[in-house]
Amino acid sequence: MMGRLQHKQGKITRKHFISLFVCIVTGFIIGYSYNLAKDDKTLRSKFLEQEDYYRTELINQQERNKELMDELNELKGQIREHEQSLTEHAEDYKELAQEAEKLRLILGELPAHGEGIKVTLKDGDYDPKSTNPNDYIVHESHIFMVVNELKISGAEAIAINGHRLKPNSYIHCNGPVITVDGKQYPAPFEIEAIGNSETLISALKITGGVFDQLINDSIVVTIQAVDNIQMAKGGR
Amino acid sequence: MWLPFLGLILGLAFGLLTDIQIPSAYENYLSIAVLAALDTIVGGIRANLQQVYDDKVFITGFFFNIALAIGLAFLGVHLGVDLYLAAIFAFGVRLFQNIAIIRRILIQKWEDRHVKKGEKTV
Repeated sequence: MMGRLQHKQGKITRKHFISLFVCIVTGFIIGYSYNLAKDDKTLRSKFLEQEDYYRTELINQQERNKELMDELNELKGQIREHEQSLTEHAEDYKELAQEAEKLRLILGELPAHGEGIKVTLKDGDYDPKSTNPNDYIVHESHIFMVVNELKISGAEAIAINGHRLKPNSYIHCNGPVITVDGKQYPAPFEIEAIGNSETLISALKITGGVFDQLINDSIVVTIQAVDNIQMAKGGR
Repeated sequence: MWLPFLGLILGLAFGLLTDIQIPSAYENYLSIAVLAALDTIVGGIRANLQQVYDDKVFITGFFFNIALAIGLAFLGVHLGVDLYLAAIFAFGVRLFQNIAIIRRILIQKWEDRHVKKGEKTV
């Protein structure tokens, strides 16, 4: 009886031992694979998070790019408008610039150079017949005549004895010398003018014009064309 | 009766506590091993209920099934054919069959007891 019971008990324990062992192994495998799957899941979720992060960043960047592109296009449009208006007004600007340059030359604010003429007025030789020396010396009026004629005929810059004439320059006679802007210059007077020499010379030599009148007043006048006259800008 | 459950819980605890990392390529084998183990346990329970249980068959079946399934999967991976599907299919079908048999036996037992009870009471 006892032996049989013991045998039965032993059988039971062995059976139970085997089932315990199998269950432990199975549980171990299940738990282990669960662990792995969990790790895998967390890993995957981490990857997903990273992917999400990068995706949102990419989207943000793309949006920013789009904004900047819009801005760029807008600015390009503005530039185009500016360019169009510029081309429309370019000729005007050019003309205005040229005019400004011309005006500056006339104002004597710029040093001038170029072809031109040189008119030399010298007092006439002593004439024993004449009692009045005023009849053969150069007067301011003669210089006025020459200067005005030159200005009318398109001289861009005029200088008397190297003194650049400005629009507000004044010339007056002061005995044997003339005063230009407060500076005295003796005879002979060299009047330099920059401009088309042919035009200027022909303007001066027109019949009954300045040249003739000067000759008439027995003043020695020489007119010569000069290829290149250098003229400093007018002093204050 | 409580011993197998204790073992299962113990094994689960061990499995959850181990921190060994295996290459992800071998995870397939693990899933097949799980299936084989479950199949063996369920088969063992069925055999026990049908009173045809045998220690040797059980324990050899357990290891041999796992080894065969893993070997099949291994072969499949190396041949480029998904042979582990065969193992999963076989084990799956057998698992369901065994569970169905267990269920029927349990129902039968319960009904028998019920009838006996009824006889007793009557």
